[in-house]
Order: sequence, then structure tokens, then C-alpha cells
Amino acid sequence: MSIAPNNSFDPPRPAPAALGWLAFLFFIFTQVYAVVTSPADAMMGHLQKMMYVHVPAAEVTFAAFGVVLLASLHFLWKEDERADLLAASAAEVGSLFCGLTLVLGMLWGRPTWGVWWSWDARLTSTLVLFLIFVGYLSLRSFVEDPHRRGQWSAAVGILGAINVPIVFMSVKWWRTLHQLPSNPRSLSPEYLRGLLLNLAAFTLLAAWFIWRRYEAARYERSAEHASQAAALGGYDG
Amino acid sequence: MAFRDDLRRTRAIVWKDLTTERRSKAGFNSVASLGVTILVLFGFALGPDAQMLRDAAAGALWLAVLFAGVLAFNRSYQVELDGGALEALLLYPGSRWAIFAGKLIANLIFVTLMLVIVVAVGIVLFQVRIPAQWPALLGIMMLGVVGIVSLGTFYAAMSSRSRAREVLLPLLLYPMLIPVLLAAMEATKAFLGGDLLNASGAWVQMLALFDVIFLVATFLAFEYVIEV
Amino acid sequence: MDNAVTNGGIGYVVASYVITWVVLGAMLARVVGAARRARAEYEQAVKGEFRT
Repeated sequence: MSIAPNNSFDPPRPAPAALGWLAFLFFIFTQVYAVVTSPADAMMGHLQKMMYVHVPAAEVTFAAFGVVLLASLHFLWKEDERADLLAASAAEVGSLFCGLTLVLGMLWGRPTWGVWWSWDARLTSTLVLFLIFVGYLSLRSFVEDPHRRGQWSAAVGILGAINVPIVFMSVKWWRTLHQLPSNPRSLSPEYLRGLLLNLAAFTLLAAWFIWRRYEAARYERSAEHASQAAALGGYDG
Repeated sequence: MAFRDDLRRTRAIVWKDLTTERRSKAGFNSVASLGVTILVLFGFALGPDAQMLRDAAAGALWLAVLFAGVLAFNRSYQVELDGGALEALLLYPGSRWAIFAGKLIANLIFVTLMLVIVVAVGIVLFQVRIPAQWPALLGIMMLGVVGIVSLGTFYAAMSSRSRAREVLLPLLLYPMLIPVLLAAMEATKAFLGGDLLNASGAWVQMLALFDVIFLVATFLAFEYVIEV
Repeated sequence: MDNAVTNGGIGYVVASYVITWVVLGAMLARVVGAARRARAEYEQAVKGEFRT
């Protein structure tokens, strides 16, 4: 049992529904806007439009993992179980966006380069990140004790976060040495507005997902504590 | 004063881990045999063309060492866990890093010995031509082993105490080892291939850097995972 | 102009949008469902207290 006062036993502040609606509607708007207003690219034709889902999905993936990293650090520092629940929620949402990023990356690669997978640094690092997410979530599913689960997940999350840029760097060097192209993706300014809007929309939506998932985790924890208290006789509020 | 005590603890743990290993000779022999068997399987997967085998030798070698070595990591905590000695060990005053250092060094010795055997067999099976400056290859291998063993010993501290230890250790460890393995494989490959571009030098530097990063990270993180 | 890109391209674009929307929609349903269920469970647990 943790020695620090466990404020994860208190019920959470519920996420406002209005925020959810805003995120959802904004998302629909930006998606339609970007698809409709972007002209066909000279080289890529309408393939360019894939950027409005692939790039934001990738950004959200890494932002979510950033949340996992920060929440894990906070948990180890302050022993606040709420930070652990936040990390777990961010990891769940992040791993879904990570899977999505990989699929979209493959759908981009096939018509562009002719192959479903090219072992390029970005996509490969994303795949490794996905494996790290999966490892993180598996670990959590195998550990029952909340304190142990929090400590172990935090260590695994932090080390995983350190590893991702290292993997990226290694793969990049690996390809350079074997004289493979790095497939740069340049961006002309007329596409930028649509991209930024979609980045904002995806981020808002993901943030709301994480908040709701965190809310659920907190309610579960509070419910657990309430039942335990009842079983032990007397609810101390 | 405290530091010297910690060193003594480390040495005691290394000695204990190695002697329990030596008495259960089955331990090292089985793992080394497994390494060789895996190498043979790779031979079947990639051969029988000699050039193909030579090109793939570096990769096959490191993977054989990894797959066999992973067995050693969980087992290095097994002895304490079976006897309930881990709690006792944690009750003694002293830094946690001394425990980690002890296990790390014991595993290093174990895996290095296994590596020697696997490399010897690999040279024969994969028809590797040994370059003139072969002592440098030993350096590359030691660096690779340090990376594999430090991360392996760290993650095993968790996996050995969880329900699904056989799958959890590889699941957590392998993605973390990608930079170390890549650097070790490429350095070895370049070196065996005659190192035309002096590529192995760059990879060796990277490997050394990765070792430092992961050693520091695992030493710092160990106390959080062993206490709980 | 690359024919492969402009000819087969549209299918890939459509597929990526469809997949994105389906996945996000499913995530939405799952997350909202989980939050509602957990809250109901909590309220049950608390109510259980006051009755005893």
C-alpha cells in the first residue's frame, strides 16, 4: 500500500459534455474543410489529402506518449496514484492512434513507393513505439497490486520514451549507410492551414478521449475503495 | 564507507549467483546448447549458399545470443524468488544499485561465456572469414553484451516476479534492445565484411553511447522496480 | 505525371478516411461507454454505503 495520502479515492471531476461535442464537431468541420479546399498536388494528385489524417494521427500518438512520460515521472516523484491512472489512459488512447498511424502510413506508402512497408525511419520508429505501448499495457494487465503496477509501469514508460528517439536515430543512420533514400515529405504553404486545423482538431479529440478514459479509471478506483470501506464496516467519506 | 559496503554486497551477489550456477551445471550447458541450436536453425533458414550465410552471420549470431541469453535473465532472479530470499535481501541496509550491479555482473559473465561458444560455432557453420584484426571484434562483442545484459537484467527484475514471465520479458525487452542490437549487428557485419567504409567505427561509437545511456537509466530505475 | 499515383490513388485516400473515421468513432463509443459505466458503478457502490 502507498504511504502517501491516496486522493485517487475521491471521485473525479467529470469531463464536460460540451467539450466532447465541441471536439467532435470541430473535427468534422476541419476534415471536410481540408478535403474540400485542398487543390490536387502536382506530383501526388489527391494522395496529398491523406496528410490530413496521417500527420495528425502521428502527432497525437507522440503527444499521448509524452503524456505517459510526464505522468510517469510525476508518479515516481509524488507517488500520486492519479498520475498513474492518467498515464494508463494516455497509453490506451495513444496505442490506438499509433495503430491508426501505422495503417495510414502503409496506405500512403503503397501508392507512393509501391511497397506496403519500406523500413523508413519514421514508420519504423512508430512501429517500435507501438510495440512499447503494447508491452506497457500488457505489463499493467499482469500486475494486480496498484502500487507495484504504478511503479513498474512508470519505469517501463520512462525507459520506453527514452528509447524512441534512439531507435529513430539508429534506423536513420542504418538507412543512410546502406544508401537508401530518406523519403522527405515537403509541404507547400497552401496545404498548411488545413493541416494545422486538423492537428488542432485531432489533438482536442484525443485530449477528450484521454480525459474520459481517465475519468472512468478514477471512478473505478473510487468504486473499489467505497466497496472496500463498506466491507470493512463504515464509510468514512 | 557506505560505498565500500555496497561494493562488498555486489561482490557477494556476483559470487552467489555464479556458484549457484556452477553447481547446477545444467544451467549454463543448456543455455549454451540452446544458443548453438538456434544458430543451426538460422543456418537452415538462410543457407546453404556460402555467401548468403557469410552476409547473414552477424545478424544470426546476435539473435542466437539474445534468444538464449534471455533465459538466463529470468533465472538470475529465480533463486532468490524460490527461497523467498529477495525480501530478506531487501531488508538489509544498503543501496539497491549494489543488488543490480551484482546481478548485472553475474549475467555479464554468463552471457559472455555463452557468446564465446556461440561465436566459435558460428564461425564454422556460417563459414565466416576471420579478419586480421580479430581482437577488435572482441571489443565490439563486449559492448553488445553489456547493452543486452543491462537491459535484460533490469526487465527481468519485473518479469521474473509476474504471472506471465516467459512472454513478458521478451515483450518488454526486445523493442528496447533494437538500437543496441542494430548497432552490434551492423558493427559486426561491417567488420567481418572488411570494413570498407569504416562504418564499423561509427556503429561502435553509437553502441558505446547506447550502453552508457541504458546503464545509467537502468541503474537509476532499478530501485523503483525492486522495492515494490 | 505518375499514372499509378493518380489512377489508383483515390482508393487509398478514401480507405484512409474511412478507416480513420471508423476507428475514431469506435474509440468515442468505447470511451464514453466506459466512463458512463464506471460512474454508475461508483454511484452504486456509494449508495450501497448509505443503505447499510
